[in-house]
Amino acid sequence: MISAISTNITSPLGMTTEQNYQAVKSGCSALTRFEGKWGLQEAFAGSLFTDEQMESMMIDGFTRFESVVLHSVKEALTHTSIDISSSRVVFILSTTKGNVEMLGGERSTDYGQQTTDYGLRSDEAEYPGSAAKLIASALGITTAPIVVCNACISGVAAQILAQRLIDGGVYDYAIVAGAEVQSKFIVSGFQSFKAVTDEICRPFDIERLGLNLGEGAGTIVFGKGEGWNLTSGCIRNDAYHLSSPHPQGEGYYLALQGVLDNTPLATLGVHGTATMYNDQMESKAIQRAGLSNTPLTSLKGYYGHTMGAAGVIETIITMCATEDGVVLGAKGFEEIGVSGKVDISSEERKTDKKAFVKMLSGFGGCNGAVHYQKKEVPSNSPIRGGFVDTKTSVGLKVSHSVKISSKEAFVDGVKLETTAEGKALLKELYKTHINDYIKFYKMDILTRLTFVASELLLKAEGSEPKECEDRAVIIFNRSSSIVADKQYYETIKDDANYFPSPSVFLYTLPNLTTGEIAIRNHFYGETSFYILPEKNQKLMDEIIRVSFQDKKTKSIIAGWIECPDEDNFEAELNIYNQ
Amino acid sequence: MEELILQLKNQIIEALNLEEMEPEEIETDAPLFGNGLGLDSIDALELIVLLEKNYGIKLKNPAEGKEIFKSVACIAEYVQQNRTK
Repeated sequence: MISAISTNITSPLGMTTEQNYQAVKSGCSALTRFEGKWGLQEAFAGSLFTDEQMESMMIDGFTRFESVVLHSVKEALTHTSIDISSSRVVFILSTTKGNVEMLGGERSTDYGQQTTDYGLRSDEAEYPGSAAKLIASALGITTAPIVVCNACISGVAAQILAQRLIDGGVYDYAIVAGAEVQSKFIVSGFQSFKAVTDEICRPFDIERLGLNLGEGAGTIVFGKGEGWNLTSGCIRNDAYHLSSPHPQGEGYYLALQGVLDNTPLATLGVHGTATMYNDQMESKAIQRAGLSNTPLTSLKGYYGHTMGAAGVIETIITMCATEDGVVLGAKGFEEIGVSGKVDISSEERKTDKKAFVKMLSGFGGCNGAVHYQKKEVPSNSPIRGGFVDTKTSVGLKVSHSVKISSKEAFVDGVKLETTAEGKALLKELYKTHINDYIKFYKMDILTRLTFVASELLLKAEGSEPKECEDRAVIIFNRSSSIVADKQYYETIKDDANYFPSPSVFLYTLPNLTTGEIAIRNHFYGETSFYILPEKNQKLMDEIIRVSFQDKKTKSIIAGWIECPDEDNFEAELNIYNQ
Repeated sequence: MEELILQLKNQIIEALNLEEMEPEEIETDAPLFGNGLGLDSIDALELIVLLEKNYGIKLKNPAEGKEIFKSVACIAEYVQQNRTK
């Protein structure tokens, strides 16, 4: 069982975990209303670093995003004595959009202090894997970093990956850093979804109007031992809609069920974005799970939604509060505004329990849960909750495989007859072999590629689509959602022609690929998306192998889906069986 | 009005990526959502962008779209009454 050895939170509320916890405990929030920021036409409220804070963190040769991550990880490492150059240490970065502000030189619009020349690496600086590699190298980490890019559940998903890799014997230590910096790109996208408010957010409140975005980084260094143990984790999909949560919180409920045991919980840390649909969904799922009387911890009123950092920052704060014997008040909440029965209060409450669950939910229908418990002595008991004992290593068996390049396609090694190339090839494959899913035409190129590959794979398997929770979907790539990122940027770059497209913005989250497969096939199992600096079959195999630690997962659709531009792509997708 | 309806149909096809569809396949009075073209909440948001981009109409509250986006005929009527460009 793995434990949190050391932590850091770097946010507008402070530069250490202690500073952040004390600030939150005393009711501080950095949420502020911004008007005209980054040239945005609509006002918004958010929690952003001040120029002075950012300047104090900036490292020459690194972007804002990378500098914030480096600050957080370095500070966390000062409290440990681990040899991070060891081959037994892995760096896991959780982010949804990383360096996206590098697109089109958007970075220079506000933070005028930056003087660094990024020219030498501008082509690929936007790839999250490139950022992770630079950060890992600057820290002296020698193993290949992994980026978890699972929309808003990334921070929880990264902790689950750390647990699997350590429990699976692949590494002894994992440095999990979750981070996000805000930009015109992200804020305009959420505004196009009508999800952002320019007032301070009010999670679970009757008058909630939407979310606030936030900046920050959180780091947890994991190893084995006593202290706060990550006892189990679980990821499940709604299989319902790409951007709207399931009304009854199906995936959320399943993820929660995956980590619950009989340990009394001090608190359930909710996602609580303060959007109408999210908070309502959570209340229904929490009631379904029988946790109506468990006090909720809701932290968006302090930090806003820090996206890729949220899972890490909010886990650390909840851990500090539970250690301190309190359940923090939900800032912004006054009067209940959800129909599921939940226990939420704006007042701080006492607790003597030493366990908690942290939940998140994200676009693409994904939901994540981690369960923590304070253990004074190392436990030798079998791992419980959503996991089985990991030492019984699982061999990877591939039952079917699909390979698609921009020129040709193969199913189980047999070449398909095709005439088109590039983007047109995917349309030809769709029309010839699928042709019954009109949503195909709405997908971006990365999702079309993943969707077509998965359909060919499932046809080769010959199974009829049926609801199931035992099949996971795990995708890897290198260039994230670069094509959609560039397309979305085109809709916002020109002030005179500024019409942010919600449907294009949606696909700037690469994990939408996994969500489309889940929705199409009614897969309620895990959906995960990882970005690597370069294709690394050995590492991908290890991650797929340890993903079978989820005791419900019996098969995984997994593989490499890379699409740096619309006419240049490759997919290699397999069905792995236990 | 006929011209505006045809223009709207073409704009809807482009904005919502209904690649395989011709304007005449969209019935002017048929529901756009639900069983109609199978559009969903993301498409509704994209239609809000369409109105602003092409006709200078700003819908602050997405809920307003519910009545306006019932059919192409409803959109055309609303556009005719509220367009600023």
